[in-house]
Amino acid sequence: MTTISLDNLDNIKYKTEIRQKTAKPLLWIGLMSIVMFFAGLTSALIVSKSNSIWIKLEVPSMFFVSTILILFSSLTYQLSLSFTKNNQLKFATITTILTFVLGISFTVTQFYAWQQLYHSGVFWAGEQSNPSGSYFYALTALHLLHLFAGLISLLVVVTKSILKKYSPTTILGIQLSLTYWHFLTALWVYLFFFLKFIA
Amino acid sequence: MSAHQHPHEEQDFLFKYVFSQDHKMISKQFLITGFIMGFIGLSMSTLFRLQLGFPGESFWIIDFLLGSWAENGVMLPDKYLALVTMHGTIMVFFLLTAGLSGTFSNLLIPLQIGARDMASGFLNMLSYWFFFVSSVIMLISLGVEGGAASAGWTIYPPLSALPQAIPGSGLGMTLWLVAMAIFIASSLLGSLNYIVTILNLRTKGMTMTRLPLTIWSFLITAIVGVISFPVLLAAALLLVFDRSFGTSFYLSDIYIGGQVLEHAGGSPILFEHLFWFLGHPEVYIVLLPALGITSEIVSTMSRKPIFGYRAMITSMLAIGFLSAIVWGHHMFVTGMNPFLGAVFTFTTLLIAIPSAVKVFNYITTLWKGNIKFSPAMLFSVGLVSTFISGGLTGLILGDSTLDINVHDTYFVVGHFHIVMGLSGIFGMIAGVYHWFPKIFGRMLNNNLGNVHFWITIVSAYGIFFPMHFLGLAGVPRRYYTNSEFPLFDNLFDINTLITWFAILAFFGQLIFFFNFVYSALRGPKAPQNPWKGNSLEWTTGVKHIHGNWPGEIPTVYRWPYDYSKLNDNGDYVTGEDFIPQTVPLADGEKDGGEH
Repeated sequence: MTTISLDNLDNIKYKTEIRQKTAKPLLWIGLMSIVMFFAGLTSALIVSKSNSIWIKLEVPSMFFVSTILILFSSLTYQLSLSFTKNNQLKFATITTILTFVLGISFTVTQFYAWQQLYHSGVFWAGEQSNPSGSYFYALTALHLLHLFAGLISLLVVVTKSILKKYSPTTILGIQLSLTYWHFLTALWVYLFFFLKFIA
Repeated sequence: MSAHQHPHEEQDFLFKYVFSQDHKMISKQFLITGFIMGFIGLSMSTLFRLQLGFPGESFWIIDFLLGSWAENGVMLPDKYLALVTMHGTIMVFFLLTAGLSGTFSNLLIPLQIGARDMASGFLNMLSYWFFFVSSVIMLISLGVEGGAASAGWTIYPPLSALPQAIPGSGLGMTLWLVAMAIFIASSLLGSLNYIVTILNLRTKGMTMTRLPLTIWSFLITAIVGVISFPVLLAAALLLVFDRSFGTSFYLSDIYIGGQVLEHAGGSPILFEHLFWFLGHPEVYIVLLPALGITSEIVSTMSRKPIFGYRAMITSMLAIGFLSAIVWGHHMFVTGMNPFLGAVFTFTTLLIAIPSAVKVFNYITTLWKGNIKFSPAMLFSVGLVSTFISGGLTGLILGDSTLDINVHDTYFVVGHFHIVMGLSGIFGMIAGVYHWFPKIFGRMLNNNLGNVHFWITIVSAYGIFFPMHFLGLAGVPRRYYTNSEFPLFDNLFDINTLITWFAILAFFGQLIFFFNFVYSALRGPKAPQNPWKGNSLEWTTGVKHIHGNWPGEIPTVYRWPYDYSKLNDNGDYVTGEDFIPQTVPLADGEKDGGEH
């Protein structure tokens, strides 16, 4: 009988088991590479700082609002997981939607913050720009790019929540998305303090 | 069995051969794409060697192959730079990174650890297709206006940051950056899979100290890749911003054609820091898999346990760690603080210790072995040779006080081609000879393999060894011709000699490509375990099935290096000189990996 393994491979149970075993480590190692990406960018900023024309910039006030929003979104998303684990699926759906709304609000405040920067004469590029300003835009925009992936994952979780695809035992998708979201929050907090105190 | 019980055998052509999620098919895709890219990179080097060996002479082949890149059979100077840049890029990234790791990590990780497939077949498939798209874009960049990127494979700004700098700084450079961004995504997806598969999907009994050294080398390579490639991506993105949006991360106080540019406040040295933070680990991303493959082949073909199994693992871990803190040795002449230079010299020279441990272990494994000189073994021993000879000149380049004298000369070209280029490619070719029966189910021709090896080793040393003397005499690298300097006139014959060896090396590889293609299609059918190896891949059938083993995955009871093991009476334990990992330990028998 040479077909047992072939059937096993298609066996949903087998595939689920592999997914359960490997999905989280895959995500964690992926996060490690994102950490290195931002470590590279922020250490580039430290090297650039030694240039004589470097200007010390103030963090725009909107970034404070962004920080509060993203911290809240992590909290609501964590609550959503707890609700799902306790089989309070209705509350879980509401908190997931709330998280999504907070994520969108964070995105909006980022655009406002860039506007604040622009109006105070800090430019992304061009004749009047300075690398110190360019780093402000680059670091926050690249964080936002990663946040878009988080929003997409949130959208999937919201949809599945509404369709009642989760139960106290079927929560892997939420856990993965939640870990990524917490990571984005931590990354933002790091970038915020880095821009405030180091840049 | 009815059809619906064979879902994977019913797959149509598209999903079986093109968008396959089976690690064995993806491995073949990486191998063939990598070799096609390698052949293109090899041809480029042969063409620009013609220019260096016979400057100004007309060649019909240059006219025929290069078209508008040549005039009357002579290569144009700016296109020489494009060819050198693309040769370096293709060989380092497309052949020796994706081609080597992509092929053997994909083939061997599930087979040697006892897994049905990779952790995520889908991500694995994406990894290949990203690599494919990246390869295509890189090749397309050869045909765009202005030509391909020409700033060297290290793409230092400002040549790479200002589209108007040189002909290759325009669209060719943009496509280079796009291709590399996709390549990095491919490499990261692959690495994620390799790490998670090795850590999570090992079969019963396959402890970390029973893993073949190939797997350890792939694991450490993948970790080094995950840590260093994102930094290159960061560097490349900042470069894109400078090129396309007018930021000044790498540019300052610069004018071009008499016109002052508005960039201010950046530094091209910053790019070098970021680039070499990937660039140096990249050397080990190329080398480590080759060293792992060699460990496996040297042990199997000497019919002896690998000497110092744990020392091999420790030294690979040490090399992986040290590779991330030595990048400054590429930048000794950038005005670096001498104290910092001394620190980088110290960390760089430390790498000699684990490297020497590895070499010692290879030689002691070979010592008094019952050596079978298959082509795979010849190339493995060739690797040990190039690793030593290239490593020794590394001591000179790693020391800031000595390096400054030969910086940017042919000494450097000779050094890195031997230690990284040759060692990497020898390891890869050794792997192809050794696992060809596993990949294609057929045997390569041994005689052609032997001829291939001897032509390759003689011509490779013939090309790169004399370069050290050119470098010591001060001949600079990257120059279109060296015939314009009376200072170097008495060295000119060496250049011609090198070119003759390059031509020989090119034809030597044609023998290999013929053997490869012919044997894959018409070679004799392979037995299941042609080299009498112990590791798990030889317990799978010659015919590939999705899922690798029919029925249960075998359980592992011992390390993979029990060769020529004798019992108390002086006889082979199993009657043969090898004991597969699936054979349980006898009473009182110790597992080799445990001590």
